[in-house]
Amino acid sequence: MARIIVVTSGKGGVGKTTSSASFSTGLALRGHKTAVLDFDVGLRNLDLIMGCERRVVYDLVNVVNGEATLNQALIKDKHCDNLFILPASQTRDKDALSEDGIERVLNELVKMDFEFIICDSPAGIEHGALMALTFADEALIVTNPEVSSVRDSDRILGIIQAKSRRAQTGGEPVKEHLLITRYSPKRVENDEMLSYQDVQEILRIPLIGIIPESESVLHASNQGNPAIHFKGTDVAEAYEDVVARFLGEERPLRFTNYEKPGLLQRIFGAK
Amino acid sequence: MHGLIQPDPFMSKSPSSLPIEIKISTVVAISAILHSVDPIAIDAALKQMTGGVSDFFEDEFAVIDVGAIAAETTYIDWRALVDLLKKYRLNAVAVRGATPAMSEAIKARGLALDDGAGAERAREDVAAATAATAAVTIVPVQQPAPVPPVQPQQPVPAQTAALPAMIVDTPVRAGQRVYARGCDLIITAAVNNGAEIIADGSIHVYAPMHGRALAGASGNADSRIFGLSLQPELVSIAGVYRTFDDGFPAELARQPAQIRLVGDRIDISSLTSHR
Repeated sequence: MARIIVVTSGKGGVGKTTSSASFSTGLALRGHKTAVLDFDVGLRNLDLIMGCERRVVYDLVNVVNGEATLNQALIKDKHCDNLFILPASQTRDKDALSEDGIERVLNELVKMDFEFIICDSPAGIEHGALMALTFADEALIVTNPEVSSVRDSDRILGIIQAKSRRAQTGGEPVKEHLLITRYSPKRVENDEMLSYQDVQEILRIPLIGIIPESESVLHASNQGNPAIHFKGTDVAEAYEDVVARFLGEERPLRFTNYEKPGLLQRIFGAK
Repeated sequence: MHGLIQPDPFMSKSPSSLPIEIKISTVVAISAILHSVDPIAIDAALKQMTGGVSDFFEDEFAVIDVGAIAAETTYIDWRALVDLLKKYRLNAVAVRGATPAMSEAIKARGLALDDGAGAERAREDVAAATAATAAVTIVPVQQPAPVPPVQPQQPVPAQTAALPAMIVDTPVRAGQRVYARGCDLIITAAVNNGAEIIADGSIHVYAPMHGRALAGASGNADSRIFGLSLQPELVSIAGVYRTFDDGFPAELARQPAQIRLVGDRIDISSLTSHR
């Protein structure tokens, strides 16, 4: 049975697209047929981060409007055979997405035997964000450890509880997962940042992972490769943990403790 | 032989097929108590009260109470008044405290007269009717959510005669508003900053409470707010409010406390220290 997962946050710039790219790649690397859909109509980014921007011919809006078939629009990922990207349109506006159209596209993806369908939501709580979350079975709530991001995540959780199809039809509620990104144990230690415990205390949903703040994310985006491909980096390992936990494995939390640099490190100025 | 008798559609025994059904219902309305009949002054006051929020009143019913000014007022422009209230999404349905001289003009505008005695009489009638026969069913009907919970799926107070407390078991999140109309509100999960919890009765929160809490929303000054761990942004009882710009009093924060109205002052006291 296919699972539709919305990656959302309310606030912009917290790491939704980065997380969508790495999460969907992680699922695909583990052998699951996965599709990742960019709902950020007008500001497409996912194709850049996935490094497939030059292969975009048709987009989500074309498919919703029946101007192209799903098979024409889906782009096969350059690394994984079972990962497909459905980019957003850069030339339309968000209102081009109709609820019926989205439902049809998702149903078709389900029929094509996709196991996981990842909906990369735009920021905000307007039409595009609503369309991304309406049909979700599960939600990854991407939150930075700072007050305004937490508040916006709280808001979007309320909207999921009100507006999702599951909520409207009185079905089982959308399963929520908290993904904390750009986490810096050092800044938490110095009280410059909320700790993950603080964030969880406010949002009160299960924590699926913590992604440390890292330059390798920027590096990955610039190269057009999802951060999870950069083996050995803490970010890649953290995303692998998230995927493992999502698939039901137990993994201890990592990258949450600040280790003070040792004397030698301080002298020789390790980064 | 019976087969030849055509059933008369207007003689059906099923009450649901009657063209009209009469039941007694309790409707919640707000009172608009006038201290002036100057439409400009009223408009200005409403504007200030609603702070430009167009849905401050959510098409609620309003009873215009002129008791305070009726004696010294000879003329009221009812049409202007009704239109003015309508502009603020208040639907005037009746006038209370009017003098006999006013009643013609009021009735001419399609408004009902609520003279208090009428309500009293209705109550007695109902009591008598229920005592005499079980034929009259009293079904208090709430308006269909005039204060639109931002969350349509939030539980609505059960519609029984006693109006039990409304109980909420899920976190109330930023941007959500829960309103316990005509009853107490009990919340067993966290109330977050940016959330608004409102009750016509008292409010009880058995988890950390942030956000805004408004008890006695329709004027009951005896309502209170109880919490196991309070850190609200704003509290209000019967319209008297207090904000916590400099933070909630540290000695009372994050511990069981109650908030009530003492005179016209919001009083916060610990629920543990004096017992």
